[in-house]
Amino acid sequence: MQPIRNPVAKLGIHFVLIAFSLYSILPLFWTALQSLKNVRQANSRTPLFIFEATFANYADLWLESTPENFGRVGFALIAVTVVLILLALVARYFPMPSSYVYWGVLAGVAVVFNIIPRIIDTAEFYDYFINTLIVTVSTVIISVSIGCLAGYALSRYRGITGLIILIAALGFRALPRMAFVLPFFWLGRATGLHDTLFLLTMTLVAVNQPFTIWMLRSFFMDIPKELEESAMVDGANRFTAFQKVIVPIMWPGIVSTALFTLLLAYNEFLLARVLTQSNWTLPVAIAQFTGGEDPGHITLASAAAVSATIPIVIVILFFQKQLVKGLAAGAVKG
Amino acid sequence: MKRGTFFQFSAPSIATMTILMVFPLVVAIWLSFNFLTFRNINAPDFIGWRNYIEVLQDARFWQSFRFTLLFISMTVPLQMLVGFLIALLLDQVSPKIRGVYVTFVLLPFIVVPVVGTLMFKQLFEPSGLIAWFFRAILEQRFILTEASVKTLIVTHAVWYTTPFALITFFAGLQTLPQSTVEAALIDGANRLQQIRFVTLPHLQSLVVFVALISIMDMYRIFDSVFVLTEQNPVYRAETVMVYNFQVALTVQRLGKANAMAMITVLAILVVLIPFLLRTYREQVGGK
Repeated sequence: MQPIRNPVAKLGIHFVLIAFSLYSILPLFWTALQSLKNVRQANSRTPLFIFEATFANYADLWLESTPENFGRVGFALIAVTVVLILLALVARYFPMPSSYVYWGVLAGVAVVFNIIPRIIDTAEFYDYFINTLIVTVSTVIISVSIGCLAGYALSRYRGITGLIILIAALGFRALPRMAFVLPFFWLGRATGLHDTLFLLTMTLVAVNQPFTIWMLRSFFMDIPKELEESAMVDGANRFTAFQKVIVPIMWPGIVSTALFTLLLAYNEFLLARVLTQSNWTLPVAIAQFTGGEDPGHITLASAAAVSATIPIVIVILFFQKQLVKGLAAGAVKG
Repeated sequence: MKRGTFFQFSAPSIATMTILMVFPLVVAIWLSFNFLTFRNINAPDFIGWRNYIEVLQDARFWQSFRFTLLFISMTVPLQMLVGFLIALLLDQVSPKIRGVYVTFVLLPFIVVPVVGTLMFKQLFEPSGLIAWFFRAILEQRFILTEASVKTLIVTHAVWYTTPFALITFFAGLQTLPQSTVEAALIDGANRLQQIRFVTLPHLQSLVVFVALISIMDMYRIFDSVFVLTEQNPVYRAETVMVYNFQVALTVQRLGKANAMAMITVLAILVVLIPFLLRTYREQVGGK
């Protein structure tokens, strides 16, 4: 449509867009407010917008008991986190391959998460959070690595087999989860793998594979064949050419795909609900908060909801461009 | 690329999908012909088609199926219409400010569906903002009834699925060639005519794409209905997937649940097969 020049109409457009933005964030805004109130304020019949904020709900949610030296411990943890983030940010200026630094930072994060429950008396919610992290990170790493290989092969191979695999994968992606979940449940029970994070991760990888190979294939299609062919003329075999020439160029596409995989793994409720009994992930844990009769559940549920949302919002704020690009790429290419 | 190399590269992915998707589907088909509960979980009892007959005679299954169809027919057009309109407006805004709007608008899409549902529900609790609005402005109490729960489910689904349609349509609008718009302008087309004769035909394949994806996604909706209804049958707002879940884990009739899953798979093939054929043609044509 031709651009609108009329200033009044332009103002109207912004008005509608602002209203729509408010509508989009209203539930999050209200829940965040509720999570900072005490039980009496949260259950007030007229909504309170000005009140003394308290973090007690978050403490109740994450901690079994508040330690005496909480201030010092908290300060130390924040300091370590800041150092790790700074390391990741300046990784490229180090005199070694920056991937070593990233792996080092990742190891540091793992160590910190391991130490926390030893020095602070954390509640179950922390365990669910760690479960979610483990499942999400492993799903993303496994799914994207094997998906990259397959997506690349599918973009370069012209045989009918490749097409059949693609179409079959698309069909499987569209099928209701229930068709896979129940056999997994039965197989898990029969093999003793039920309630393990391993089964959940592998299931998520499989369920996510069709989407991953389709998306990565469409990105690989944009990269000219001549690139790896010239590397192969220079003596590299196909795998080396793929690893050294194609993957570095593909990095933005890989990040896009990884983001969608991350959202899928972090969000999955049905699979996690059926395949776990005590090793819950966050969505399963949070679903338990709904519909309690206890008036205290509102504040606790709000704190849980906000706690689960913050990590994902931070990730998306960093990678919003790639997310939108991924959505658009999937759309324009069908 | 040679066939051998192709298989070397794609073997891990194909193996994962075969072991963890094709094989389970075969297991599901086999289980659907067995009487299986948690008691005889290691020794299924073959009973032929009886599970299927039982599902097809189950009134609650048909009720959930009808609600799923109603749900799809309401949410899919709504999310596409709202998404399209907002995408048109977003297209009019300068790219810098656009980024800010996109950040807000994407939020329902990235929030964990269970959490989003919980947040949505908070607004309607007696202490919630919208419940207060009902009391203060409309002077009536918001209570959970069959109608209001169903409305809530539809409203929430539209809230969290619109961003997908919106961003897709917006991306499509960016590829609209300026020359087509100018040609329409020279022909004296007004704005509505431009949308009708230029924008919509350009987006046609995207509209079909979004519709198909949304129908399939809405068909298997589970999380939000599970949370909003609290599995309470009073609201008669179960979708097929939620009822299927209950038959499996609450009633603990695994064989019957598998049969129901197979019936729902057969039902979605009506949409799925044309979609797969369309993709097949596109891929063959695209070579």
